[in-house]
Amino acid sequence: MPLSGPFLQELERIVGANGLVRTFEGRLVYECDMHTFYKGAPDAVALPKGSDEVVEIVNLCRRERVPIVPRGSGTGLIGGAMAPLGGVMIGTNRMDAILEVDYPNRCATVQPGLINLALTRAVASRGYFFAPDPSSQMVSSIGGNVATNAGGPHCLKYGITTNHILGIELVTGTGELIRLGGKAADRPGYDLLGVAVGSEGTFGIVTAVTVRLLHAAEAVKTILASFTAIEDASEAVSAIIAAGIVPAALEMLDELMIRAINEGTGAGYPKDAAAVLLIELDGPSAEVEAQGERAARICWERGALEVRVAADVAERALLWKGRKEAAGAVGRLAPTYLLQDAVVPRSKLPAIMRELIAIGARHRVQIANVFHAGDGNLHPLILYDDREPAELERAKAANEELLRACIEMGGTVTGEHGVGLDKAKNLPLQYGEADLNFMYRLRRAFDPDAIMNPGKLLPSHPACGEGFRPARPRVPDGAWI
Amino acid sequence: MPVATRSFGEAFAVIAGRDGVRDDAGALAEAAIDGLVPRWIVRPASLDQLSRVLALACDGRLAVIPRGAGTSLELGNPPARVDVVLDLAGLAQVIEYNPDDLTITVQAGISAGALAAVLAPHRQWLTLDPPGVAGRTVGGLAATSASGSLRPRYGTFRDLLLGVRFVQADGVVTWGGSKVVKSVSGYDVPKLMVGALGTLGVLGEMTLRLHPLPEAERSWLIVFDSARAAQALVERVVDSALQPSRLEIFNEAALRIVSGESSGVGIAVSIGSVTEAVREQGERLAEIARSSGRRVLALPDGFWDKAGLAMSAPAGSTALQVSALADRLAGTVGAIEEAFRVASPGAVVRLSGCAAFGTLRVVVSGAEVAEIAAVVSRLRALVDEVGGSVVVACGPVELRRAVDPWGPIEPGAFALMRTLRAEFDPGRVLNPGRYVGGL
Repeated sequence: MPLSGPFLQELERIVGANGLVRTFEGRLVYECDMHTFYKGAPDAVALPKGSDEVVEIVNLCRRERVPIVPRGSGTGLIGGAMAPLGGVMIGTNRMDAILEVDYPNRCATVQPGLINLALTRAVASRGYFFAPDPSSQMVSSIGGNVATNAGGPHCLKYGITTNHILGIELVTGTGELIRLGGKAADRPGYDLLGVAVGSEGTFGIVTAVTVRLLHAAEAVKTILASFTAIEDASEAVSAIIAAGIVPAALEMLDELMIRAINEGTGAGYPKDAAAVLLIELDGPSAEVEAQGERAARICWERGALEVRVAADVAERALLWKGRKEAAGAVGRLAPTYLLQDAVVPRSKLPAIMRELIAIGARHRVQIANVFHAGDGNLHPLILYDDREPAELERAKAANEELLRACIEMGGTVTGEHGVGLDKAKNLPLQYGEADLNFMYRLRRAFDPDAIMNPGKLLPSHPACGEGFRPARPRVPDGAWI
Repeated sequence: MPVATRSFGEAFAVIAGRDGVRDDAGALAEAAIDGLVPRWIVRPASLDQLSRVLALACDGRLAVIPRGAGTSLELGNPPARVDVVLDLAGLAQVIEYNPDDLTITVQAGISAGALAAVLAPHRQWLTLDPPGVAGRTVGGLAATSASGSLRPRYGTFRDLLLGVRFVQADGVVTWGGSKVVKSVSGYDVPKLMVGALGTLGVLGEMTLRLHPLPEAERSWLIVFDSARAAQALVERVVDSALQPSRLEIFNEAALRIVSGESSGVGIAVSIGSVTEAVREQGERLAEIARSSGRRVLALPDGFWDKAGLAMSAPAGSTALQVSALADRLAGTVGAIEEAFRVASPGAVVRLSGCAAFGTLRVVVSGAEVAEIAAVVSRLRALVDEVGGSVVVACGPVELRRAVDPWGPIEPGAFALMRTLRAEFDPGRVLNPGRYVGGL
């Protein structure tokens, strides 16, 4: 749906010529996020400089019924920040200021385009940090983190983005600028903030965010343990948690991944290892020391081949090196891969690993695994050769089967990446008609004209576009007075 | 087919059984809410029964007041109407407990005390400790978003509710969230249900995040002669490497009950961790106190139970929840005490709260309704500039008529709340009138 001349003129009046991308080449940059399967360029990209401009853009689009797609840095993995129906993309990149840092109340207010790591860098000298640490934190925006409710390796201890957001300023689908939450806790009324975080731009566009800042830990200890069986590593994970130790991060790599990393970066994991466990503890020194010793002992007791404890920052970086380069390392095994994000209850890790091997065998694809073992969040990489169409189809089939397996074990279809366009179709695995209907109606309260990021987060109903209709319970027959 | 005209009472009995419905005058009078006597008390024994009870009530445009342990019925506005008191104590089963996953799914009517007994053998716990927690139901704690002194380390109910099965006003059973500790699939519906007082749906089953009990926990008290000095210590603790699980302030009236101290402002600190770390952090705390010219008093086991008891509101008294900012802690405490001294010199005002966040609980006895109402208005004006709030958590119905128990809500957000309420309960079946803005 090409935009009309007057519409574009009006858009240019709002954001200025410098804030509007209209050319074909310019728009192509915005046709996908990091999930490159899904492509759809917007008809125009607007780069507002403040919330007043965002309000004007939303009102303009609402009047003309033009879809809006919000976008931060475009590092999402779910096809959330692309425009399947065209329309206007609102990029928050020019809204990247730190508006206030309030140390006495341990919070900061920032614009949504601010890069995640930039905030931590700005407050680090005072001993504080912003806890959510998605792998993309060097480039991803805080607005994007809020939209997807992003996680990261250290959310085992610190929680995901929602646990660190105190308030937002939101321009809803009706063009109203509202404030939800704020520095003071416990506002009476519905927790609209809680449900807006993770709404993937379907409620509106966040134009300011108040985040909690945490005091940096005094000590950090990183331990790497390798095992000959994934069951042993999984048992070690359970034993560590059962001992009351909550590591900041608890990551696992499987055999195929270990091989890829060893061949690639030379992280030097033991050759016979079928599972590598990376344990990071942080907190007061005495606690970290004591818990570190215990965690190491638990690993030995569960038959670890080797347990390495980093002695300093350089060694810590070395232990993390393999984990951080995992996605790159699988490039040695296959030209490309599908990255999955799903969760099972932690105690089901050995069972889902067996199932993944069976699924891989059934569909003749290799599956390498790196996962946040502490919370059961899997990131299988399904390897395939994109020059072979049949292989892609097999990879996709394995992908869908894997999600179903996770749900059957009591899990969820996404742990930290989000739903976007990619997984909207998978939500019915996890939710019934009534549940989806509730979510549709929730969305409509914020965006009655369905202009905000349409097609994302919720599946369209097979029968009609309007949403799912739950059956009502039966009441006793009769006419009641 | 000709249909008989029968009473709702009979229909409720068809659904919930004869034993599940009460309509004798004595029981009804006892279940009155703010003076409004219900027509039936219905006690469903299963989620299916709960769903059908609500469907029928919705068809009949009856007003339903969900009740757990009945400890928070003075929260909010007096209800506009009361037809059915929905007694949820019959839904008290543990559905699924997975100690290895640190999660449990329970029916909402189970008491926190009964839940604690299930978890204790596995050295796990639900990390919430508002006053009187053991006798309250898990559903009631969630619906009222109750929290206590464990907040600095473990947060509030919103941080602990992973999934929820609730029954909408029309009887439709709905699930939100997941049963695992990490999920972003779809909207975070559990957050919406916490603190909603059942107005978007009655909580039926909940999947909760549990924590392991720390190997050791110790608590200490430091007493100051002013709230300002207490705040200075709090700031030093927060800015240090210590990781307290509790950092609670007590005013003089509260301190007198919870400890032997007869005057001053108290800060009680708990550290939970491995034994070595508890000892080491305790030493550091003592060092911080010493450099402020104070000493730490080791607190006995059972201190926090006693504190919870001291901050429970006895019948006829009033409890306020005051939220301001951490950096205004001393000023807020001072303003609360001063406001009561001026308006109600004879009142006994106990205060405690989470010093790290500036969220305070105030229990008042011996004050007139008009006096408390005046204080509430005065405090609202004070905390307004930082976006804070003053909520009447419980108190006489006359007070809750004299002053809005919730206080003002930002208009933009309130418009959305009204839309949601109208969307999910257009017939105003669930707790009509009680919630914010009379929703």
